[in-house]
Amino acid sequence: MALLEARNLTKYFGGLAAVNRVDITVNAGEIVGLIGPNGAGKTTCFNLLSGFLPPTAGSITFNGEALVGLKPHHIVKRGLVRTFQLTTLFLDMTVLTNVLLGLHLSSQRGFGRVLLSLRSFPREEITRTHEVLEFTGLAPYADELAKNLPHGRQRTLGIAMALAARPLLLLLDEPVTGMNLDESQQVMNLVKTIRDRGTTVLLVEHNMKAVMGTCERIVVLNFGEKLTEGTPSEVGSNRAVIEAYLGSGGEHA
Amino acid sequence: MKSKIGIAVVLLVVVVLALFLPNFGGRYYTQIFVQVLINIMLAASLRPSLLCGQLNIGHSAFMAIGAYASALLAKNLGLPFELSLLFGGALSAAVGLIMGYPSLRLRGVYFAMVTVSFVEVIRLIAQLWVSLTRGMSGLSGIPKPSLLGMVLTTKASQYYLALGLLVIILLILYRLEYSRLGLIWKSIGMADNLSQSLGINVANYKLLAFTLGCFFAGVAGAYYASFFRFLFPPEFSFLLSVNILVYNFVGGRGHFIGPIVGAAFLTLLVEPFRGSAYETIFFSIAMLLTILFLPGGLITLPGKLAGLWSGSTGSAPATSAAT
Amino acid sequence: MTFELFVQSAIIGLSIGAIYILMALGLTLMFGMMHIINFAHGAVYMLGAFVIYYFFHLWGIPYSLAFFIAMILLGLFGFGVERFIYRTVKGNIEPTLVALLALTTLLQAAGYPVFGPLDKNVPSVFRGNYIIFGTPISAERLMIIPVAAVLVVALYLFINKTKMGAAMRSIEQDKEAAALQGVNVNVVNAMAFAVGFSLAAAAGALIAPIFKLDPMMGEQPLLKAFIIIILGGLGSIPGAILGGLILGFIDSVVATAVGVELAFLLSFVFIILLLLFKPNGLFGYEV
Repeated sequence: MALLEARNLTKYFGGLAAVNRVDITVNAGEIVGLIGPNGAGKTTCFNLLSGFLPPTAGSITFNGEALVGLKPHHIVKRGLVRTFQLTTLFLDMTVLTNVLLGLHLSSQRGFGRVLLSLRSFPREEITRTHEVLEFTGLAPYADELAKNLPHGRQRTLGIAMALAARPLLLLLDEPVTGMNLDESQQVMNLVKTIRDRGTTVLLVEHNMKAVMGTCERIVVLNFGEKLTEGTPSEVGSNRAVIEAYLGSGGEHA
Repeated sequence: MKSKIGIAVVLLVVVVLALFLPNFGGRYYTQIFVQVLINIMLAASLRPSLLCGQLNIGHSAFMAIGAYASALLAKNLGLPFELSLLFGGALSAAVGLIMGYPSLRLRGVYFAMVTVSFVEVIRLIAQLWVSLTRGMSGLSGIPKPSLLGMVLTTKASQYYLALGLLVIILLILYRLEYSRLGLIWKSIGMADNLSQSLGINVANYKLLAFTLGCFFAGVAGAYYASFFRFLFPPEFSFLLSVNILVYNFVGGRGHFIGPIVGAAFLTLLVEPFRGSAYETIFFSIAMLLTILFLPGGLITLPGKLAGLWSGSTGSAPATSAAT
Repeated sequence: MTFELFVQSAIIGLSIGAIYILMALGLTLMFGMMHIINFAHGAVYMLGAFVIYYFFHLWGIPYSLAFFIAMILLGLFGFGVERFIYRTVKGNIEPTLVALLALTTLLQAAGYPVFGPLDKNVPSVFRGNYIIFGTPISAERLMIIPVAAVLVVALYLFINKTKMGAAMRSIEQDKEAAALQGVNVNVVNAMAFAVGFSLAAAAGALIAPIFKLDPMMGEQPLLKAFIIIILGGLGSIPGAILGGLILGFIDSVVATAVGVELAFLLSFVFIILLLLFKPNGLFGYEV
């Protein structure tokens, strides 16, 4: 069953098409990779799906509901949660507070409720936060300030915050960029565990090797258009894909 | 534990001082302390906006709206003080809501430029709409404040009124800052895109912070009008907005107490130069020094000094060996 | 409006527009690279005018030399501001803006005790009138146009033909990528401060013999430069030039029609509306 279905997704900046007539389908329970060389339109695609940019044309259906025109905070409430490429965190708050906020902000029923509720965090939210910290291996760092974490852990924290929001579909934006082999392996293992616990994952990644072992299906973008789509081995042996990567500086791949 | 006792002692001293101040000096001193209280109201009411990460340089415009609206209502329509005060705040908030709604989409520099421009618009309207505001001749003859029909004629009683108002405003702002709402404001200030991706309607919360600040700035303006009983458009210039920002930065933005410390400290310190160019020179230098050398503001100074002291005692042998 | 009056106000509009353009170019260059608005730009303009007052009028140095001294001194000042303010706050936008505000109020307020409370006048440099289409135009005002044009062309060549200019453009595109390619971002930012400041100083130095000098004299041109760069799209240099020409013409007409103060009020309303509804400028420059 298709959880997320984007049809004919198109985005123009000025006169240039950053994303042009792209179709993406993500089925429930899958790990799908969206890859491509620099400037292929991955991040734009990502921002379109999460509602941070309005598409010029095309439709996005999530869990049977049309997403185009909804604000990002409405999309989150429907179960589609994103992370950020760089370490976008509440840097001056502790790891615990970061995850607590991830849980808390997403569970707010709305503006009026916040105004009326002066209590701090309910007990069940704190319990759930500790669960997430345990599961992601961040528990030992709970009382550290986010800005003092090592780089790899900061990325994990970003994922933990998104998880706390109880997503049906988790959108990861370049989760292993700038990591060494060990660190990226850890993150990929985490991604698999997340899926095994019932959350579907769509990840955007520049680094092709890192996602090969993890994703079940890969969509390749180049110059804003879909180049091909298939299993990792199909994509890995596709001439057009190899050329696209070589053409834009293969040393990154 | 020790620091908590310290804070309690300091608070007690401040409260006692605040309560007995009018008995110490004459009218002149009472006037200075009223100015301190008004400046604290203005500085503290800017804080929610700053928490959301908005560089709001338009606060004096909303003080001016509250001041002129309440003064005209009290003077021309004979409205009692309590009502004109509330109307002044409400009108300020309403204008803030209308202004804020479209401009809160703007980020960083764009927002700062809109707020700066708005200060000039309001000041020029006050200056040019002579039939209503008396323009550059200034609006005089504003009724004294009253409470439940009793006119407060002495400066001391007016001081206590300001103190009461300030306590109410600070209690409300404090309660909000340390509620869920405050946490959301802070999260928006640290990373608004992340807050949005976690399901927060960023625009609404920013608008609330902005409008709330406008309301209290309007209330402060209304009180100002009734105390000084004279309004003059250039008083509400861009410089006043910068000063309100300076109170927050110099006091420190890391804690609720910051703008209170900043406003009290700077108002008392520049009092001897008030109205002269040296006042502005002094302010600007304080601001530059803080931004460059004490980014956390005055409230981080005790901690820094303590660190310096323990650091210097630790390295004392090395220093003596060198000399 | 007679033909003579039209020619006269057109040329005066052009000369005022040229001053605004010099102000706006530095602002937009600095915004494009660092995403900051230099609130101190008006104060730098004021200082440029006062350099002329001291060097040319009081100390008798030739005007053209004093003009270059103004540009060099304030260019160095720009270097200093980058080094001691911008770099100290690590280029964070909010503290930079607040520090620049503080610098502005400091320079303006310090102007009163330092320069004295009375307005200053600088005697004419270019005396007499030129007759253009039968209309006399004061040489003073006319001279602004070629001088400003030379500076604009120089800036254009600097940005498009030199290595430093290429580095500036690369920072404008993508700061991280520029740094990775070995561009020394600090030095290039300092250069942008220096160039911006010396252009503002040049504007002040050009206007010194025409207007009265006082510490607040930079406010109005700063405001006009704001409008121009918003009109032209923040960060766009051709936009700034076009915006400056448009505003120069409108300015002389509106101010004579409704009075200076109301014109001032209208310009602020105009800024707010522009920012709210056309934040990318009239020419659709993508931010």
